[in-house]
Amino acid sequence: MKKIPIIIFLFTLLSLIAIISSCRSTSTIVEAKTGAQLWGENCLRCHNTPSPESFSDAEWDVAVMHMRVRANLTEPEAVKIADFLKTAN
Amino acid sequence: MKNQYLILFMTLMLAFMNKNANAQEVQSTDEIQKLKQEIELLKNESDTYRPGKSKFLLRGYAHSGLQITDEEFSFVGGSFNPLFIYKQSDRLLFESEWALEQSGGEIELEIEYANMSYLLSKNLTFRAGKILVPFGIFVPNLHPAWINKIPTAPLGAGHDGIIPSNDIGLELRGGSYLGNIKVNYSIYVVNGSQLNDGEEEPEEAGILHHAIFPDNNKGKTFGSRFGFFPFSDSSLEFGLSGMYGKVGAKDTDKEDVTALHYAFDISYIKTLSSISSVLDIKAQYSAVNVDDANYPSHENPEELITFDNNSTTWFAQVSLRPALVENSFVRRLEFAGRYSTLKTPEGAEWETDQSQVDLGINYWIDWRTVFKVSYQISNSNIEEAGGHGGAEGNAFLIHWAIGF
Repeated sequence: MKKIPIIIFLFTLLSLIAIISSCRSTSTIVEAKTGAQLWGENCLRCHNTPSPESFSDAEWDVAVMHMRVRANLTEPEAVKIADFLKTAN
Repeated sequence: MKNQYLILFMTLMLAFMNKNANAQEVQSTDEIQKLKQEIELLKNESDTYRPGKSKFLLRGYAHSGLQITDEEFSFVGGSFNPLFIYKQSDRLLFESEWALEQSGGEIELEIEYANMSYLLSKNLTFRAGKILVPFGIFVPNLHPAWINKIPTAPLGAGHDGIIPSNDIGLELRGGSYLGNIKVNYSIYVVNGSQLNDGEEEPEEAGILHHAIFPDNNKGKTFGSRFGFFPFSDSSLEFGLSGMYGKVGAKDTDKEDVTALHYAFDISYIKTLSSISSVLDIKAQYSAVNVDDANYPSHENPEELITFDNNSTTWFAQVSLRPALVENSFVRRLEFAGRYSTLKTPEGAEWETDQSQVDLGINYWIDWRTVFKVSYQISNSNIEEAGGHGGAEGNAFLIHWAIGF
């Protein structure tokens, strides 16, 4: 009996993911936000905001890709954050 | 006649100046040529250091500390956790975190995770390998020592906890927007936890062990986490996690025993300008329900016992960092507090009902290096607590952690 709600839950979630994945990866709010804002909002959710001078541009490429996967960032968010970190470096 | 001399003089002067100008022009051309050659040399040299599409980054963290209780006054080893990140291309990433700990005079090495990520689209990533299970927020996001506000993990989390930490399998994850509301999601299939049937360790009968390989059955565990941010500044996140699968060993009477894990989590981060501080609140409630089964009794292995194999744990954590004040010493301070509880099945040999309060002050040397001083008060309603970790009694802890 316990399996039925779980299967329904997983099916619903799968469907939801499929729908969401086809949605836009950004919004007007994100488009309006600067890389610095996104850096502050997203990094601070788990840890202190990193100093841009901590890594080189090439290293930020790897670190931001790592965090894109880890923190479930969308591509536009990751690109804006990486650009900000490199510019402020 | 006088005019003729003047014209001759001026002609000679012009000729001299022209010659001089030509000489300067030649000199400038030589210098430009020389500069061009130097630039070319520098360009060639810098090209040798220019990274290719494949890039490697070594990061990680380390920590250790001092633990003072009624019974001990000891420096504790902590651990060294290197994190290897390899970006093979704009879509392909490999990462692996190891944990090296010294325990009982020996070095223990564990691979926390080692997986490959492939970016399928702007908002969907496929991962394969050993992953941190996306269950709640503590294990996937907050466990590294340089991130964790308190020197210890909350009750129920950590390697001996009831919350799954890592496992091998496949995962789809990502983030997206529903209008202006951000959401994130993960769905995965892993080997899953394994049930201790009590045949060899009756005192642990009914416990689930996580991250043991290979799998003890052919059934796989499915799970997911869904999070959403109701506010546009991503300050508030609600999360719902669940995982379900067989935990009993194949070809035993517990082959069909299943376990359902679920969790609710909340995270709130806000800069409070009025007190020049950053407020950070985290909380998570987790539960594990395992199907009923018969286990050998600890006192008499011939006798079978059963119990409602349900466990719960939750924690709530608050920290405040006056990061915006002018005084440089004060803005490096952080005040943190956490309450956690763990309740395991009544009637089980590993029954426990514990709670823990941690109060601490942290000093941040930089954004990823911290000294933590905390006082831990632990209470247990059961005389002999065991099985799923957690200290009894009070402890004074001084820890230092560095992220790199």
